[in-house]
Amino acid sequence: MERSLGELKPGERACVERINGGGALRRRMMDMGIVPGVELEVVRCAPMGGPLQIRLKGYYLAMRRGECAKIVVSGEQHKAIEHTLASR
Amino acid sequence: MKIALVGNPNVGKSTVFNALTGSNQQVGNWAGKTVERKAGTIHRDNLEIELVDLPGTYSLTAYTQEEIVTRQYILREKPDVVMAMVDASNIERNLYLVLQILELAPRVVIGLNMMDLAKSSGISLNAAELTKALNVSVVEIVAAKGVGIDKFLAEAVRVGLLKKDPLVRQVPYPSELEEKIQAMENLLKDISWASQYPLRWLALKRLERDPEIGQEWQSVSAPESSKDKKRETCCDSGDALNYKLKNIIELPGNDLLQSYEEEGWTKDHFEMAFADAKYNYISQILPRFLIQEDLRKPSLTDSLDRWILSPIWGYPVMILVLALVFWASFIASAPLGEAVSQGMAWAADFLVSLLQWIQAPAFLTSLVRDGIFAGVGAVLAFVPQIAIFFAFFSFLQDSGYLARAAFLGDRLMQLMGLHGKSFFSLVSSFGCNVPGIMATRTLEDPKDRLITMLLNPLIPCVPRLGVMSAVVAAFFPGTRGAMIMLSLLLISMLLVMISALFMRKVVDQKERSAFVMELPLYHLPTLRNVLWPTWHKTYTFLKRAWTFILAASIVVWLLSSFPQGVPMNSTWAGKMGEWLEFIGKPLGFDWKIMVAIIFGFTAKETTLSTLGILYGVAADASQSIAQAMTGAMSPLRAYTFLVVYMLYIPCLASVVTTYKESGSLRWTAFGIAYNLILSFIIGWIIFHGGQAMGFQ
Repeated sequence: MERSLGELKPGERACVERINGGGALRRRMMDMGIVPGVELEVVRCAPMGGPLQIRLKGYYLAMRRGECAKIVVSGEQHKAIEHTLASR
Repeated sequence: MKIALVGNPNVGKSTVFNALTGSNQQVGNWAGKTVERKAGTIHRDNLEIELVDLPGTYSLTAYTQEEIVTRQYILREKPDVVMAMVDASNIERNLYLVLQILELAPRVVIGLNMMDLAKSSGISLNAAELTKALNVSVVEIVAAKGVGIDKFLAEAVRVGLLKKDPLVRQVPYPSELEEKIQAMENLLKDISWASQYPLRWLALKRLERDPEIGQEWQSVSAPESSKDKKRETCCDSGDALNYKLKNIIELPGNDLLQSYEEEGWTKDHFEMAFADAKYNYISQILPRFLIQEDLRKPSLTDSLDRWILSPIWGYPVMILVLALVFWASFIASAPLGEAVSQGMAWAADFLVSLLQWIQAPAFLTSLVRDGIFAGVGAVLAFVPQIAIFFAFFSFLQDSGYLARAAFLGDRLMQLMGLHGKSFFSLVSSFGCNVPGIMATRTLEDPKDRLITMLLNPLIPCVPRLGVMSAVVAAFFPGTRGAMIMLSLLLISMLLVMISALFMRKVVDQKERSAFVMELPLYHLPTLRNVLWPTWHKTYTFLKRAWTFILAASIVVWLLSSFPQGVPMNSTWAGKMGEWLEFIGKPLGFDWKIMVAIIFGFTAKETTLSTLGILYGVAADASQSIAQAMTGAMSPLRAYTFLVVYMLYIPCLASVVTTYKESGSLRWTAFGIAYNLILSFIIGWIIFHGGQAMGFQ
């Protein structure tokens, strides 16, 4: 089941499948540790369509919905063996 | 020996740097960048060590200014050792940067900081195992308490003195990728230019089509001369290490890159694959040194964020925090400001009596008292406010709250096409535009910074609001006054929004910056980390502004007191006001208002006293000045004056700050012109619109 990160509800977790688009945004996400296989958790959303607070690798990140829409996630953790710790 | 301090933002780098260098540091900017550059000299075991604190960065690509500065320093200055600070509570992402550094510079020492924070979130790390896993020295430190910092430096010196580069474990790339890297390495290994960099790093960057690979740079200015005693030991504007492109070498491998691209291995694909391999490697070695305890208890950050970032409580909490900052910086600091004015007045009196004693000519005493001391004093009276504000700013930034404010304010900023981090800068401007403009430094993208900087002057600061409320109270008594004040603030906000969208069009931005921002764990900043930047920022502001303020004070004094002994409307300034009346006429302004507007440029709070003199009110009380104005102006004219007053160039200090922070005369001039034209247009619309609707 493929969804974008922006479609997750607070408290939901999912694994990164791929990142759409390229350029600076993609590089930035890479630097922050958003690479395929990593588990993300949406902690909370700012009201009125504001940014999302996301937890990954034990730290917190704020991202706008527009940027979250570019991250395709899947519910199942099919890469779980390889990435157990990366997706802490 | 040259040592560079590198790490992610918020890892405690500046704490370590301050502890090691003490007051023996120079703070300035990197050449052509608005990124702070800090360097210091340390003497240890007969060695002179030059320690450079590189800006906090997440990676060594060339995307943000911080990354460019960090990478260029390591590439071009070739430090002997890199001290890499690592946040133990966020080890995976921090190690990603370390792996990139290791590919570029093999002499690295890791400083493992924030072990206590890691512990509280249920992570325990084994430094010895980390050393084994990466084959890099690791020193545990508690930067905030000063523990382990000396050992960290000693270890760096030891690694720096090694005869041979230590052998670092290489990141294992998947075989498909490894083949391509080796093919590129084979092509590059015989090129003489390539011998100055690690071959593997060069091959990786070549595959990523990094534009800087193959370029040869030469430093233009003399290298950092911190030994030069003529320079100030502290807060020097920093050395402008500048480079010029000397040569571009045609590197082999274009055919290879071409064929890879045909197979689908584009530049982006390579970048992603390399990043992926690094993160994979980190998660592979992680179990060797990290033990994750199953902590059911939420961490301090979790519990605080439940309130601070709550969709319901977050905003009241933010308003409370901002109210506290504003109250402390701009209201509670009033006695300090008064003390400064008082001190300036005493100094002026003393000098004047001294001048009278030596029978100096009257114009000289007038210059000292009414020109220099009155003008400079008016600006100096704001220094306590600015200093207290900077202290709060540093505290909020260090503690992690500023990022939360950006998170909460982002929705509003998004409407204007701005970054969440612009929010705090714009809010600060209600206090004073100068710190507001300086607060744009937290924005990474230079274009976002510029736009935010240009918007700041449209926000009325405390002194402007003071003058405005005095005028409003005189013209619009009772509850009507509150409505008028509110309407003025609404006009200002509306114009900020419209201007933001307009600036987006004017400022050419190739790629919109992404709002991907770390929300650091909360922690209590050390006193030193709050006070040192406060002192430095205040000092920088004074150093930048004092010459301009002094010159402007003298010019204003000259204009307003010559020819001597004539009424104000016959002085040069008065003539200027009359001459400029043609501009004011469409807005219904007489020459007096024009003079007040011109004089308001040095510092806007002087407008009332100028008007007082012009309207012949002797008393210095703002109420009586405003009362005198009611006889001379209709409410509609007064309202137009208020709008124009609120919007035109904020003050000299803010113009100087804009110039220094943007580094561009062109954009500063654009900002001034924009403010002037905008205030004129809006004033015209209000005056004529009001007349058409039958207001008086």
